[in-house]
Amino acid sequence: MKGWRLASDIGGTFTDIAFIAEDGLLSTIKVPSTPQNYASGVIEGAKALASARDLRIETMAEMAHGCTVATNAILEGKGARVALLTTAGFRDVLELRRIRVPKLYEPLYVKPLPLAARDLRLEVRERVGADGSVVVPLVEDDVCKAAEVIARSGAEAVAVCFLHSYRFPDHERRAGALLRKLLPGCFVTLSVDVLPQIREYERTSTTVVNAYVGPPVKRYLEGMEADLAAAGCNARISVMQSSGGSISSDAVKDKPAQIVECGPAAGVVGAAHLARLLRIRNAITFDMGGTTAKGSLIEDGDVIFAENYEIGASMSTAGAIAGGGGYALKLPVIDIAEVGAGGGSIVRLDRAGAIKVGPDSAGAAPGPAAYGLGGEEPTVTDANIVLGFLNQQSLAGGTVRIDAGLSRASLERTIASPLGMSVHEAAYGVHEVANATMVRAIKAVTTYRGRNPRDFAMFAFGGNGGVHGASIARSLEIGRIYVPAAAGVFSAVGLLLAEKSVAVASAFVARLDELDYTAAEQAYVQLQREAERLLGVSGKARCMRQVEMRYLGQAFELIIDLDDGHLSTEARSELRARFDAEHERRFGHRFDEHNAVEIVALRLRASDPDHVVPARLRHALKPSETTSRPVWFGKRYGFIETAVVGRAEVTRERQAGPVIVEEYEGTTVVPPDASVFRDEFDNLVVDLQRGVA
Amino acid sequence: MRNRKTDPFLLEIFKNAFDTIADEMTLTIVRTAYSQIVRDSLDFSTALCDATGRTIAQGVCTPMHLGSFYDALQTMLWKIGDDIHPDDVLIMNDPYAAAGQHLPDIYIVRPIFYENVLRGWATTLAHHSDVGGIVAGSNALGAHEIFQEGLRIPVLKLVDRGRRNATLWDMIAINVRTPDLVLGDLQAQMAAGATGARAMVRLFDRYGADTVLQAIEDLNDYARELAEAEIGDLPDGVYHFTDHIDGIGENPEPILLKVQVEIKGSRVVIDWDGSSPQVAGGVNATFPFTKACAYAALRSVMKADVPNCHGFTEIIEVRAPEGTVVRPVSPAPCGARGITGYRMIDCLFGALSQAAPDRVTADGSGGSTLPTIAGLHGGNQFVFCETVMGTWGASLANDGLDGGPHIGANQSNVPVEMIEQTYPIRIEQYGFVPDTGGPGRRRGGLAIRRDYRLLASSATLNIRSDKRAYPPHGLFGGCEGKPSMNRLISGDNAIVLPVLLKEPVPMKKNDLFCHVMPSGGGYGPASEREPERVLEDCRLGKISIEGARRDYAVVLTKSEAGIVIDLDATQQLRQARSRAAE
Repeated sequence: MKGWRLASDIGGTFTDIAFIAEDGLLSTIKVPSTPQNYASGVIEGAKALASARDLRIETMAEMAHGCTVATNAILEGKGARVALLTTAGFRDVLELRRIRVPKLYEPLYVKPLPLAARDLRLEVRERVGADGSVVVPLVEDDVCKAAEVIARSGAEAVAVCFLHSYRFPDHERRAGALLRKLLPGCFVTLSVDVLPQIREYERTSTTVVNAYVGPPVKRYLEGMEADLAAAGCNARISVMQSSGGSISSDAVKDKPAQIVECGPAAGVVGAAHLARLLRIRNAITFDMGGTTAKGSLIEDGDVIFAENYEIGASMSTAGAIAGGGGYALKLPVIDIAEVGAGGGSIVRLDRAGAIKVGPDSAGAAPGPAAYGLGGEEPTVTDANIVLGFLNQQSLAGGTVRIDAGLSRASLERTIASPLGMSVHEAAYGVHEVANATMVRAIKAVTTYRGRNPRDFAMFAFGGNGGVHGASIARSLEIGRIYVPAAAGVFSAVGLLLAEKSVAVASAFVARLDELDYTAAEQAYVQLQREAERLLGVSGKARCMRQVEMRYLGQAFELIIDLDDGHLSTEARSELRARFDAEHERRFGHRFDEHNAVEIVALRLRASDPDHVVPARLRHALKPSETTSRPVWFGKRYGFIETAVVGRAEVTRERQAGPVIVEEYEGTTVVPPDASVFRDEFDNLVVDLQRGVA
Repeated sequence: MRNRKTDPFLLEIFKNAFDTIADEMTLTIVRTAYSQIVRDSLDFSTALCDATGRTIAQGVCTPMHLGSFYDALQTMLWKIGDDIHPDDVLIMNDPYAAAGQHLPDIYIVRPIFYENVLRGWATTLAHHSDVGGIVAGSNALGAHEIFQEGLRIPVLKLVDRGRRNATLWDMIAINVRTPDLVLGDLQAQMAAGATGARAMVRLFDRYGADTVLQAIEDLNDYARELAEAEIGDLPDGVYHFTDHIDGIGENPEPILLKVQVEIKGSRVVIDWDGSSPQVAGGVNATFPFTKACAYAALRSVMKADVPNCHGFTEIIEVRAPEGTVVRPVSPAPCGARGITGYRMIDCLFGALSQAAPDRVTADGSGGSTLPTIAGLHGGNQFVFCETVMGTWGASLANDGLDGGPHIGANQSNVPVEMIEQTYPIRIEQYGFVPDTGGPGRRRGGLAIRRDYRLLASSATLNIRSDKRAYPPHGLFGGCEGKPSMNRLISGDNAIVLPVLLKEPVPMKKNDLFCHVMPSGGGYGPASEREPERVLEDCRLGKISIEGARRDYAVVLTKSEAGIVIDLDATQQLRQARSRAAE
């Protein structure tokens, strides 16, 4: 087969590889990640998968890639040394942030360090007014002097963010041109190119993040390309963006900040694809791994985007409401709620006798007590082992040995015996408390958007998604859970299912009733050209024009699709009506026609029409031996001898619970008051009886 | 500790469920409110309460609000007796008739009925953009009586058995400057109440009333026990502290805040005896608010994640003589009582530093200053008002945050670009003032400066800053922070404004209002600060070479390779200074 596509998704412990053949057959493989040089793990995995499928990596056309390089650069503080040019009087905007902090009652709170240190935040005399008029002309000499300081400092990257540049980009552009001339080899990035939008802190922060991850991402991708080439593989690399679209590695090198959340995004994209296949409009995705659980929404078949995303922010709901815990990044990022509750999360009793699950994790080493690697404290996985939800001899298809006795002993010692209850009751309690933390996070996403989870289906994936999915769905009053095949490597599958797409925007401030149609059309044409360049398409991109607007004097913008693509007098009233309707849907009210509406930006979502996403998805399910074990489903049911089967043994015919489905990548628990069948796409479909507490 | 009836797992699940409901109420307001002060500054709070008015869970909003709900609900319960029905909605704001805070803070309370029995209350409090009175925004400092401050609402029914009280809605609409925003925000509060009530009923449905009510009791017990254990960790003793508000107007008279904190076992008694009598200006803090500030300060020294329910407040007793600035009687005005709230927390941190030196910071800049510029532009009236938060004092472990919210109110700044786009104002500078952080082993946060140029032909300016006569205190040998400074610069002429303006001052076109907040106090002797940290501050431009020498006796020199420490000279200077001190 020529011109085949491979996906590689790099995680902290494993690199997941996936491939979908022309007939839709999916193959996946997991290899250990190689942090010294991630490329070697990828190449090893690619070769292994290729040989299993009679393919040659020399003929691979494209590798869809998900990586953690940008996120890790920020979380580990290993990005480039960044300089920042600001309008005179405003060098501290980056460090002042929006003032608010993510924790209440914490006098010892410490802010994250600014990604551009104060000595490299250099002021330039220039000033543009809010209407785009020049108040103080750019003093080019200040830029030249700043360039000297930067050259001496050894900074690898420079960000430029001037006040109101989204209205009048000329000063930033001139400063950028000078810097590029004076600092060859330096990564120069301008706020008008990264985020031409009002609000100076968010724009500055986003531009600085782009500068900070620019050099490491570029090195990483170039290294990956070189290593692939050396192994005889000349495939193009495309990278998943936080928005859920993939894009060529060259375009990423320009604007690397857009790939920070690519791993979790790929899972949601995969679920959205399945939802479309199944004609499900609204769904909640639930992705639970070893250290965290993540929830996101699919609405009308599409992913939703976060409004105030911060990298490295606290995972608490309080933090999410208040913000301020991480680095603001105002690019399109899929809205994903995350809590520190995964299989490895540690369970403790606090000093007044309450149970706490996470957020600290036993990680891969020592891991849960059951691993026997020295983990003393019980984890969520230990509780699931004691209950019989997880296999009591081994996990991951026999590759990880389990000592259930150690799980029991640690739960007994730290939880059950101090509380005077049986170890099963304690384990069940731990399982439920873990669920409660996750439910709170998912509810934060749905409530914020004014949605009721009851109206949604759930897609559960990640290594532990199927173990907790049913209980969580029940708390959210969701009736149906889909556990896709390859759930444990679902992000890698998502990489293959993603469209090749970009989102671009340009500031365009005008009252809707005073709109200059010609100027708007010109701006859209320019955006389209930019999008086509980023996509690297020779012909026309498939485009959706959008308008970002708000009520005059309000601070909250909404993005409205412009279906037929042209702004005209008729389109204008249609746009207004849709804006009012969306405002009401989203915020619960609308203002009347006396309140003017203004446009703040024009946006364009563009995709490559020639990029074909596999239309079918099949799985080669291997039969496995059916066994059984006693499983504790809470006091109401006690121990039930429960059948343990593989996915192949679950048929199209609905089968009553309890059943446990064990696979290499994860386990799915079907409780006694639920049923399960396997649908045409090989998803496990778990239906809960309604009205059961 | 282990004799609670609800098993610990179920208790944690209920705690999560209650918190989730409080979150849902919070998010409903964020989503549906109209005004920026509610939506962007999050100046509101939500709570789920039981039938007797005890708080079960609170949304994560404004610490200074949280903790005052109990008193308000007690007054409400006493007032309404058994005249309460499903689909009623109550409203109140009056500091005296309804145990409120100040007039802009309006409570909206919805009963939660289950099986025809009153089982609880879904409660919200929001700071409204205006409730009338002598200044726009209803935060007047110069009022002599509460009657001048705006619309007073005792405990009333805004909705009676599902029917809107149209008279009351009309009365509110005509008495406020921003009726659309106020009515819109009231609707948002009602929506949050309905959300909370609905979610609570579902919880009753799922677990049964008895189980839920038992869980509420046990959660209260748990919170109290956890708080007891935390306070029990602090050394017993009686701790005193005194602080001042500079005073109002051209010839300010200092307003004294005097506190005694007694820690005995696991109980705390906070007594404000000796504080100033109530004043004829809007800084009087009603007693429920005084209590809320005490709870917020004590909660901040607790390390554990104590649930925000009534239980934890049961171990804290707050006392204050009636007729004082911390427990005024009618008709004392309260419009700008926030400043006294901030100062009470500052004062309590001063006292608590003696008991928990590792948990509190030296003094910070004292809360938001609410610069307000109002006037006419292009024939339209404009009122610009923002929360400007300051900077933190240092702690045992950390330098003070350079730029952070007061612990009492976690509010954000407003983007410069948003201001300039909306108002005839240009912000010409926003940043740190070098060499201002209170020197200490750990340095206080730097002062923040924000300059406003007026582009309209004329306007008036109002400001409530503080800490010029009494700058932020340092701790354990750390130095004070720098005082605040507000200047109005008109051409070549600059005048220094009083810290707390009695009434707004006029501004002309192109006048510049230069607003400098106080800086944070230091912690520990400056002579013990590691020279490397002084060097780092100097490299970052947070302190000058001269400042390093003056404040820290660290000698820095500038060379080709940058700034370096002259170790010998530093040692000599530090020895000489310590000899001179002896």
